This record gives sequence, structure tokens and C-alpha cells, in this order.
Amino acid sequence: MNYDGSLWLIFILIGLATTLPRASFIVLGSRVTLPSVLQRALRYAPAAALAAIVAPDVLVVGGQIDVLNPKLAAAGVAVATASLWRNPWLPFIAGMSALHAVRYLVGS
Amino acid sequence: MNVERGSLPSSFLSGAREGFISFLPLSVGLVPWALVMGMAMASTGFTPLQAMGMNIIVFAGTAQLGTLPLIAAEAPLWLIVVTALALNLRFVIFSAALAPGFRGVGTAKRWLAGHLLTDGVFATCLDKMLHTDDPHWRLGYYLAPAVWSWLLWQVFALIGIYTAGFIPKQWSLEFMATIALIVLLVPMARVRPMLIAALVGGASATLLRNMPLRLGVVVAICAGIAAGFAAEHWEHKARKS
Repeated sequence: MNYDGSLWLIFILIGLATTLPRASFIVLGSRVTLPSVLQRALRYAPAAALAAIVAPDVLVVGGQIDVLNPKLAAAGVAVATASLWRNPWLPFIAGMSALHAVRYLVGS
Repeated sequence: MNVERGSLPSSFLSGAREGFISFLPLSVGLVPWALVMGMAMASTGFTPLQAMGMNIIVFAGTAQLGTLPLIAAEAPLWLIVVTALALNLRFVIFSAALAPGFRGVGTAKRWLAGHLLTDGVFATCLDKMLHTDDPHWRLGYYLAPAVWSWLLWQVFALIGIYTAGFIPKQWSLEFMATIALIVLLVPMARVRPMLIAALVGGASATLLRNMPLRLGVVVAICAGIAAGFAAEHWEHKARKS
């Protein structure tokens, strides 16, 4: 497919749509302060957001929830290694090995 | 108090060193993600120049991957922009949480920091940014992982653009990105209210996955935050009585 100059306009607009939310409060800083209750609540944002991105990825296969899939098994192994050992590379090695081992075992 | 021009204060460098070291292992997760991104842009039909243009101007993995099919399908511009916005809405929450960590930092550097904000950098930096007084140290601690992420993102996307089609799909390298998110999540979830926030956030996002424009993710984050906050409140009460 060929794209014309309007593609660059699209990139700039998407760039604004992604940078403005990120920069919002960092740039406004002390001019806008969030109430302390909200600040305390926001401490839970990263855990909630990370889980919200990871969970559907490892639980859903082809649009359906499937609790017996290789990705979920590999995620379980990654969670276990990350909780038991401090070595930061280990979850990657163990998780990827588990993914391929389980796929090989179930023959998919 | 601003970081002065020309000379980098030693506390900036020591902050940068510490931030870089704590982020380095997690940054492996970016490599396959950036490779996949480059390959996806190449297979959408972008020239290498267009693909790198998007990668540099947008610099946001989920928003880039999410809008590619819309661009390819010549969807209306407003829908493309609204989709990108929805995919990155979670960063308003991250930005607000991080904001106190930028007191004493100038406006231009705040814009740069905002543009470079990613999930991984946020999760790595939040705690130290909020509990350190020295603004130079904080800025170093933030910028080192942020700039490193940017470099990895550009270099490996470029490699992905030129190697699209060579790496077998069944290697599932993109799963390393998921593992990276798990590595970030596990130490957080050691505290009970955080664990509850994660469980509720994950379950809600799974159940709401069919909401339009991936708004389910935003709703799930809010539900997770509410659950964690409620759990904290409840634990506090239980301890008092």
C-alpha cells in the first residue's frame, strides 16, 4: 500500500494523543495538586494497570477465557521464579522455557 | 531550583547510575516488543523512513500497535486519534502519581520526561522519585532508564523493520514483554492491598476485554485502584479495633 503526506499528519496527531496524557501532571506539577486521598489511591495504579495488561494476555485465547493454555502456565512459572529468587533474568529464562516446553508437550 | 546548564551535578550522575542499574534487567522486555513493533510497521506497508518517523514521533508501543490496523484500513482520522488517546489514558494516572517527584525540575525537562514516560519507567521510578529530596538525583534516576528505553526502542524497531519475516513466529519472542510486566508486578503485590488491586484489575480487564476502544483497561485500572484503596482502609480499621 502507498501512503501519502497525510500519514505524517496522522503520526503527529497520534503523537499528541500519546504525549499529552503522559506529560499532563508532570508538566502542570505544583500548579495543580491532587487531593491527598487521590494521591494515596493512585499508589495502586501501577499494580492494577500491569495486571490489567497482563491478565487478558495470558487468560484469553482466541477471544475465550482458557485456564489451561501454555501462556498461562509460562506466566505462572514467571511469577513463581520472580517471587522466589531475586535474580532478575531468571523469570525470562524460566518463563520462555516453560512456554515452549508446555507447547511441545501439548503438541501445539 | 533547576539543574544548571553545562555541568551535570554529581548527584544527577549517581541517581542516573542507580536508576539505570535497577531498570537494566527489565529493559530486556523492550527488545522483542520493539522488534515486533518494527516488523508490524514494515508489514503494514510503511517505508523504513515512515516507520521510524512514527516510532520517534509517537514513541508508545500499545498506541502504535493499536492504531496500525486502523491506519491500514484508512479509518477516519478522529477514530485513529481517539483510539491512541484511549490506549494511553492510563498515563494520566501515572503522570499524576509521578508529578510530586518532579518538584524543583524545570518545565522543558518536565516535557521531555513526560514524552519519555513508559509503563516500565513508571513502575521502576515511582517509589524512589517520591522519597528522595534532591531534585538532581531524582531527575537522573528518572532520565537514565527513560533515555535507555528510548534508545532500545528506536534501535530494535529499526532492526525489526529490516528483519521482518526472518524471525520465526513460533518463537513467540513477544511473550518476553509479558514476562517483563510480571517481573514489575510481583514485588509490588507482596503487600496485601496491592495484591488485591492487581487481582481486581486483572480480573476486570479480562472480563471487560470486549469493551470498545479497549476502554475496559481504563475501567479495570479504576476498579483495581478502588479495591486496593478499600482493602487498605479495611486493614487499617481491623488493626485499630
